Amino acid sequence: MTTAIAFEDVSKHYRGAEYRMFRDDLSTAAAHLLRRAPPTHDVVRALDGVSFEIPEGQSSALIGLNGAGKTTALKLATRIAYPTEGRIRVRGRVGALIEVGTGMHPELTGRENVQLYGRILGLSRRDINERFDRIVEFADIGEALDRPVKQFSSGMQLRLGFALASHLEPDILLVDEAIAVGDAGFQFRCVARMSELVREGRTLILVSHNLSAIETLCQNAILLRAGRVAADGNARDVVRQYLQAVQVDLAAAQGRESTVRQGSPLELTKVTILDRHGNELDAVKPDEPTTVRAHYRAHERIERPIFSVGLNDGQIGCFTVASMLVDGQAPAVIEGEGHVDCTWPSLPLFPRSYWVWLSVRGASGFGDIVDWQQVAVFSVVDDLEATGRGAATHSMADAPVKLPYTWRFSAAPSQGR
Amino acid sequence: MGRRYARRGLGLLFEVQTADRPMMSISMRRRAETHPAAGVKPFVEVAAGPGGISIAGLQEFWVFREVLWGFAVRQVKIRYKQAVIGIGWAILQPVVSAALFTVVLGRLASVASEGKPYLLFALAGLVAWTFFSNAAGSASESLVSNQSLLRKVYFPREVLPLATVGAALVDLVPGLVVLAVAAGLYGIAPSVAWLAIPLLILVLVVFASGFGFCLSAINVYYRDVRYALPFLLQLGLFASPVVYSLQAVPGRWRELYGILNPAAAAIDGFRRVFVHRDWPDVSITLGALGWASMLFVLGLVFFKRLERGFADRA
Repeated sequence: MTTAIAFEDVSKHYRGAEYRMFRDDLSTAAAHLLRRAPPTHDVVRALDGVSFEIPEGQSSALIGLNGAGKTTALKLATRIAYPTEGRIRVRGRVGALIEVGTGMHPELTGRENVQLYGRILGLSRRDINERFDRIVEFADIGEALDRPVKQFSSGMQLRLGFALASHLEPDILLVDEAIAVGDAGFQFRCVARMSELVREGRTLILVSHNLSAIETLCQNAILLRAGRVAADGNARDVVRQYLQAVQVDLAAAQGRESTVRQGSPLELTKVTILDRHGNELDAVKPDEPTTVRAHYRAHERIERPIFSVGLNDGQIGCFTVASMLVDGQAPAVIEGEGHVDCTWPSLPLFPRSYWVWLSVRGASGFGDIVDWQQVAVFSVVDDLEATGRGAATHSMADAPVKLPYTWRFSAAPSQGR
Repeated sequence: MGRRYARRGLGLLFEVQTADRPMMSISMRRRAETHPAAGVKPFVEVAAGPGGISIAGLQEFWVFREVLWGFAVRQVKIRYKQAVIGIGWAILQPVVSAALFTVVLGRLASVASEGKPYLLFALAGLVAWTFFSNAAGSASESLVSNQSLLRKVYFPREVLPLATVGAALVDLVPGLVVLAVAAGLYGIAPSVAWLAIPLLILVLVVFASGFGFCLSAINVYYRDVRYALPFLLQLGLFASPVVYSLQAVPGRWRELYGILNPAAAAIDGFRRVFVHRDWPDVSITLGALGWASMLFVLGLVFFKRLERGFADRA
């Protein structure tokens, strides 16, 4: 298979100091002259010996925690920035959406920006005009097209940016995080457009924290961890690996007691996901009982602590919450160490990654003892063949919950006889 | 890899020799026809190491010439979009300065003006100098003031200072008109020597671009440039024969001075053409053009060498 993008042992180092002043260099030079050790500059290793290849026509994801080097990798692939070491090969025209407002100038109108950005991508005026209507239609900004971009809402800027990058015939489309900003309808169209490009045989690289989008849209994924490739392979497997890593990090964070308010009487020590036999796991089956177990240490007597556990799939807000505020099952009092279990007899969810949120409130429901926060991650695994890959691909912006339902067709009474 | 190139636009092939010091060399073609799926496109390769000037880079610059035009148009539009009197500023700046210098230097200090009215004498110098100063000054700021572009999109970076100098040309036009009208008012009719004007402007454009390459690149790394620049240009005003005559420079130094400071050559040329109805001094003008071209090339080499760090530092 032909390679679209290849990174060969690529490193990228940044100097820690944001700005270099002439006086810094003067002091370095002076130190050299005086044969003293020059003041050291912190070096940030954004990427450290990264190698991977992405074949033409493949959709790949770059995943990793903040600061893992995802955006840096995209910037190197687009020649915005250059590697400190190693070599990068890129085949074909690259359309990139790195941060909102890529390539757009705030003083110019939407129309003028389309023209300019098209030229930056190497298209002729005629090429741009041919695609102009489709871009405007996709961006759906209507009248605003002739207003300066600075008057656009961030959503409109994003829509125009994505419309531009994805319609100016890129061989390779790089999308960084951006689709998280748009509304659900636009996210849906972005996903549809991206899968369309993939079907046309173009190469897609998606950087996102939205793991469910990645699982549905990407065949492959590359996991970056502190500037190195930690995993490279099938998207589902790599996402799984990432989740395990996140679990470990979360556990470590809880071990450091950093998630608790200063002086809070209640401390969460550990949150685990258990199956019906009490085994810890990170991948659950939708039709089996699943338990979230929160271990705590109460430094004082706490009367009627109200626990709430919520689930979401990376979108804002939880789609379900189990709260003692609602069901009134708060224990009379807790003290010392213990754990609380919240069990769902089944989790009728589509196969993706889900976050567990948890909070503990005081007796009357006022005042957070433990703030509402993400405490664990798990994924639901199901037989994908049963749901169908096509269905999964367009379900990124759709609801995660799968309630039991039936379909019934009735033929409409025919008009004639 | 198949040597077939498909699709219009930007198809570049760099071959990189990786030795201790990787060098970028060099073959690059534009793709021929249009279908996305047709043919295997060549790789663009980027290896670590400092940037430099290459044939491939120059060819790529040619591919991006429309971007240069786009940026220049953009800058002109932005400049006048919210300015109430718009292009009037391009006239006001040299005219008001000329009036001021006429009062202070022409009248009070009685600076010699080659036997012509001081106002016209100063205006000719100021139209040329104002163009150079605006072009060189804004070119030096061009990278820093477009940092959002530098951090988000790829294009050959030299496009920015060049487009800025190009945009400044738009302001020169009303200045030239004012100068011609003022000359007319003093009874000086147009002459064939006006044909030399494009050459004089070329000297200024080449000089301002070279200046802009160097300072814009340094500006990314050392923001001190931002503070030094107005001061530097102020010094330049007095180091060039704007308010005084080139004739004030002792004869044996005059030629060297006019060449080493190409702005001086252009200013003197403007004066000869517009005020004296004469041709510019041939040896000074061509010498200045040669020297300015050398600065241009050196500036570009310097610029390309630093170019790769722009997005990280801007």
